[in-house]
Amino acid sequence: MTALLDIAGLSVNFPAGGGLLDALIPGRKRYIDILDGISLSLKSGETLGLVGESGSGKTTLARAILGLSPISAGTITFNGAELRTRQSFTNMRRSSAMMFQDPVASLSPRMSVGALLTEPFIIHGVAMQNRKVKAEELLSRVGLSKDMASRYPHELSGGQARRVGVARALALHPKLVIADEPTAGLDVSVQGEILNLMTELKTVMGLSYMIITHNLAMVRHVSDRIAVMYLGRLIEVGPTREVFKMPLHPYAKSLIASEPQPDPRKRRADLAIKGEIPSVLNRPRGCEFHTRCSIAQDRCRSEAPELQAIGIDRIVRCHFA
Amino acid sequence: MSEALLRVENLSIGYDAGIGQIQALRAANLEAHGGEVIGIVGESGCGKSTLAAALINLLAPNAHVNSGAIYYKGADILTMDKESQRHLRGPEIAMVFQDPMTTFNPVITMGDQLVDFQHHIEGVSNTEKRRRAGELLARVGIPDPELCLRRYPHELSGGMRQRASIAAALLMTPNVLVADEPTTALDVTMEAQIIHLLRELRTDYQGAIIVVTHHLGVVAELCDRVYVMYAGQVVEQGLVDDIYHAPKHPYTRALIACDPAHFEEHTPILPTITGRVPSLLHPPVGCSFADRCDLAISRCREMAPPWVRISETQFALCHEARP
Ligand SMILES: Nc1ncnc2c1ncn2[C@@H]1O[C@H](COP(=O)(O)OP(=O)(O)OP(=O)(O)O)[C@@H](O)[C@H]1O
Ligand SMILES: Nc1ncnc2c1ncn2[C@@H]1O[C@H](COP(=O)(O)OP(=O)(O)OP(=O)(O)O)[C@@H](O)[C@H]1O
Ligand code: SF4
Ligand code: SF4
Ligand SMILES: [Mg+2]
Ligand SMILES: [Mg+2]
Repeated sequence: MTALLDIAGLSVNFPAGGGLLDALIPGRKRYIDILDGISLSLKSGETLGLVGESGSGKTTLARAILGLSPISAGTITFNGAELRTRQSFTNMRRSSAMMFQDPVASLSPRMSVGALLTEPFIIHGVAMQNRKVKAEELLSRVGLSKDMASRYPHELSGGQARRVGVARALALHPKLVIADEPTAGLDVSVQGEILNLMTELKTVMGLSYMIITHNLAMVRHVSDRIAVMYLGRLIEVGPTREVFKMPLHPYAKSLIASEPQPDPRKRRADLAIKGEIPSVLNRPRGCEFHTRCSIAQDRCRSEAPELQAIGIDRIVRCHFA
Repeated sequence: MSEALLRVENLSIGYDAGIGQIQALRAANLEAHGGEVIGIVGESGCGKSTLAAALINLLAPNAHVNSGAIYYKGADILTMDKESQRHLRGPEIAMVFQDPMTTFNPVITMGDQLVDFQHHIEGVSNTEKRRRAGELLARVGIPDPELCLRRYPHELSGGMRQRASIAAALLMTPNVLVADEPTTALDVTMEAQIIHLLRELRTDYQGAIIVVTHHLGVVAELCDRVYVMYAGQVVEQGLVDDIYHAPKHPYTRALIACDPAHFEEHTPILPTITGRVPSLLHPPVGCSFADRCDLAISRCREMAPPWVRISETQFALCHEARP
């Protein structure tokens, strides 16, 4: 398998915000590093799960891949060609699709569901025979009834809006689908339906997926490889089964241990992870996880660990992995 | 049990949809007592958010209350005048919305909005309110509260917005907190932190917390009692342990069986409940779950199922349910 998407050393920073006054205060950082040196690749036909702290930069990474976040360093190669120009990103967006995190807010409120579903055809100038028939076909593909076509986004339940998002993303038969929390807000049965549908279409259409999620119970079943982020950096990447069986990075370990079990008899009295959550404005020195790591040593507080390869297909960023 | 803080009685709500009325909620009953954490689970589109919106009197303009009442401290909040309703919303009953984008105004900084959420608190300066806002942001796990206060909603990550909307609701120090999917945009460590915070709150004050969620793990970890909904109806209610270990309604059983968290082995094709939910434009006369139920017999299609008492605390809407 060749790499469909290859990200090398990607960094993204945003202005630190605040008004003019802030900018005048000496020593205040003008830019915040949101993503730092991300290298990651996605093979064609593969499903990559991207998990990690809330605010660690997962959505920013997805947006950067689509040319929607300002890139300050690094390269993105899609289908063998490096994405540099606005035009190359536009072309890339034609063969990829993004499912956004906020389901209702990401659908234009003044368009009916039917219009929303067929909009990608119009934006990208792809012919369709009959708008109404197409919309109904897409609706049935994601298990919604035909009469939904005349509804408006605010008239949908959260789960229905999510399904419309899936139908829209798959409308143009993309090569790559980046799905930001594709099943948040769905009941476990509909979640299963959506994921089974995505899996089926993956085989039929030869899709690749990047699934960004906090739902570990789900992603461990549907992804081939998993990448874990912390504070804008990758801290562990490897085959999903192995990472779940034996996570190497202490953060990945506590993440997996924190998942609440669907059994009231297994309630935990204690949090798996404690300590001050660091901020991107004020990154801890040394290993950025040391403020919360239960096995941190002196070395961790002064020296930042590099990514190191473990075996043939795992990498981890920890001095003691 | 003592008098309920909040009691929903026989509530039916429909939405005008041109072609007819969508029966989003049908004869729902629910009770919440002080100090209790209630979970509401169920299929996508079964009316959970509709019920939650009714609790804070923020139903969509095309919604109609077809029957029923919601008693808060004994008074029906659906029939009281607008002014009294406004006084309730916030300090008495507050809501964390499913889509955090809808909680905040996109063109106002988080700080100004969070100060504004406290408008009903008298004799406290704006500086003090801002300080309280920062403090609560820290409590819900926002790493840099000061920076967050200066930002606009779109400059926060999805999970930060969600935590900020939880903070916004808590700033109003409500008696009843209704949280619609409060942890979906959070990573599991943060989710655990929010669950612990909500549990702490329960012991701190005698209010009630009502959590709507699809995450069965969250319900198991947080809630005392659970209501299970399907196609606009409450189909089962019970103590959390009974719902997970002795569910009586076939839908409850099917829902729990679909949770991928139960599978240790790699399961690329996830289990689902086959079949579809009936149209809510014309809900069936018999059991709404009949088309998908293994136990269905002809009676299930012909007659509405009874509300069967399983025990003092557990009930199920099913012809076949037995104590
Ligand atoms: N437009 C923006 N301007 C300034 N900062 C931003 C902007 N967008 C995101 N950020 C910051 O970048 C960081 C990463 O945000 P991002 O949305 O990528 O996180 P995430 O990993 O997707 O989190 P979540 O799981 O909560 O969705 C956050 O600290 C956020 O505040
Ligand atoms: N304003 C509206 N107009 C018309 N129909 C609506 C409106 N709001 C909700 N509905 C419909 O009412 C039903 C119940 O919606 P509700 O949002 O209460 O479901 P939910 O249980 O919260 O679902 P989810 O878990 O997906 O969020 C759904 O079928 C939905 O399509
Ligand atoms: S480098 Fe040290 S602080 Fe960082 S994760 Fe490893 S052990 Fe913990
Ligand atoms: S009433 Fe009949 S169809 Fe409905 S849940 Fe019970 S057994 Fe199944
Ligand atoms: Mg995100
Ligand atoms: Mg809802």
